Amino acid sequence: MTVRAIAGLLALNGAFALLGLSLLWSLGVLLRWADALRLAGVGYLAGVASFGVLWTQLLVIGVPFGGWGIVATFAVGTAAVCVLGLVLGRSLPRGFGDGRGSSTTALLTTAAGVALTGLWLEALFRAVRLQSLQAYDGWAFWVPKAKAIFFFGGLDEQVFTMLPGPTYPPLVPIINAAAFHAMGGVDTVTFHLQYWFLVLGAVAAIAGLLQRRAHPALLWPALVLVLVVPRFGAGLLTPQADVLVDVFFVVGALLLALWLSDGGSWRLAAAAVLLAGATLTKREGLLFAAAAIAVALLAAALWRRPGRRWLVVSGLLVGAAAVPWRLWYRHMGIGGEAPSDAGLGGSFDRLADSLRLSFDVLFDTGLWSVVPLIALVALGAALVWGDRRLALFVGVLLGIVFVGGAWVTYSFADIPITADEAVNPIVRYTGAVVLLAGAATPLLLDSVWRGREGQT
Amino acid sequence: MPRLVVAFCVAVTLGAVVPLYPDVFPYASDAARANAALDYVDRELGGGNSVLPNQAIAIEARGRIPTDESFAVDVGEPQEGWTPLSTPDSITTFMRSFLLPRRERSNAPWILCFGCDRNAHPGAEPVWEGEEGLSILRRGT
Repeated sequence: MTVRAIAGLLALNGAFALLGLSLLWSLGVLLRWADALRLAGVGYLAGVASFGVLWTQLLVIGVPFGGWGIVATFAVGTAAVCVLGLVLGRSLPRGFGDGRGSSTTALLTTAAGVALTGLWLEALFRAVRLQSLQAYDGWAFWVPKAKAIFFFGGLDEQVFTMLPGPTYPPLVPIINAAAFHAMGGVDTVTFHLQYWFLVLGAVAAIAGLLQRRAHPALLWPALVLVLVVPRFGAGLLTPQADVLVDVFFVVGALLLALWLSDGGSWRLAAAAVLLAGATLTKREGLLFAAAAIAVALLAAALWRRPGRRWLVVSGLLVGAAAVPWRLWYRHMGIGGEAPSDAGLGGSFDRLADSLRLSFDVLFDTGLWSVVPLIALVALGAALVWGDRRLALFVGVLLGIVFVGGAWVTYSFADIPITADEAVNPIVRYTGAVVLLAGAATPLLLDSVWRGREGQT
Repeated sequence: MPRLVVAFCVAVTLGAVVPLYPDVFPYASDAARANAALDYVDRELGGGNSVLPNQAIAIEARGRIPTDESFAVDVGEPQEGWTPLSTPDSITTFMRSFLLPRRERSNAPWILCFGCDRNAHPGAEPVWEGEEGLSILRRGT
């Protein structure tokens, strides 16, 4: 039974990767097979996001979700983007290597980084292989929503309106329901491995995106540190939506940062898919996506980056993807996602306490080790000696997301000022700030190392 | 100077990785061992083990209530042996999740009684009775 379930999950996640890589190919980015390998993680996440975004819209209009529907989505979706690629004149990737030489040091560092990450992933797999469903949010609403989609084929009114968190978007339950179909039933033990695949995809995406943009000696230590900080180590595979929304946001933001640097238009399209996924994964995904696009637009305007209109179009598409789900739950009589007083009713003391709590959580080395501190040093150094455009984008985005966390504590008057995760989500929320800080650090440090004249 | 800053950041990062990285493996091994030691029912119930006074009622309910029928949950005063998490809200939320696709309805033919007052359900007969005040009632058809 479990071997069958694992094989099903393998097939499902392979289909996500194939769909996303086909999309990247049609965007003209996979010139060599090495590109497909390097961008497999980005492709996988794009596949997960596009599948989740598409099925959110389909469920809202009442299309039934089932095994054949899933197969048809992959078949039709992959075929459609391949046809688009052919129409756009894309050819199959040619050759494997890209002819770029790498130093022995770089190769050894990469090999060590891949080996350490691989061992870490193996340990994580072992830990979660027979994990039971323990987390409250998991068994109270994330998984029941997935079960409802699996059993009833749609956004069952009773389940989606009566359970806790009725405004939480349905992308994660959709992915979980697809996992149930792939496993052949509601196996709430083996389905934890779906989260392992998401973590694998996230690690591959960040490493693949940065591999050519940061020296391996800067990339791998930072990446491995992010993976092993106490908070991520224990919480990555909890069946909730926090990790996925952070991953969509951070990889989307990295794509925007790289677009600001090199203007590669495929990055905008991929970022739009991932940020649309973020808006339908968790409520704060709306804030993350809006902040990333707004800051990219600001930076693009300041540096007169060509192609700004495509960034605006991407932003509009992300916003459009987020709307139908919100219309559905409004139609069901469920209240909005924002606090009732929108943050206007709190006192100055509460504001100060909320900010202090956010600072305390961000710089708690027991949670995140030195990741935020190193990122701050890297950010300051990049502003002085490195790529100021990149530093501005990362710094302002980090600032907005950080303040957003304090605003959540401040504006929801019933949330106590405490880092206790049972009553205040600030620790989970801060994961997005830390992941972005950790992922951007190699880029920032690389720009400092190369100096301003070395910038592209 | 800039390259010194970069070197400093890399050194501090490596200094943080060195003690943290090895900790991953004992954690993973402990978790794997603990998970493997659980029996099938423990794994199936997961968080329900902390919420339910006794596992048996969940397994009996899943075996007895057809998937197209509905159930109600009635939780009375806490009994000896119940956990601090055995509250009406948490028990109802768990059973609602665990028993899907069976639906929870207030006038359902099946009643999951957690130390409830059976007189509040006239015409309902027990089809299963367990310890700690737990039973499954069935209203007459």
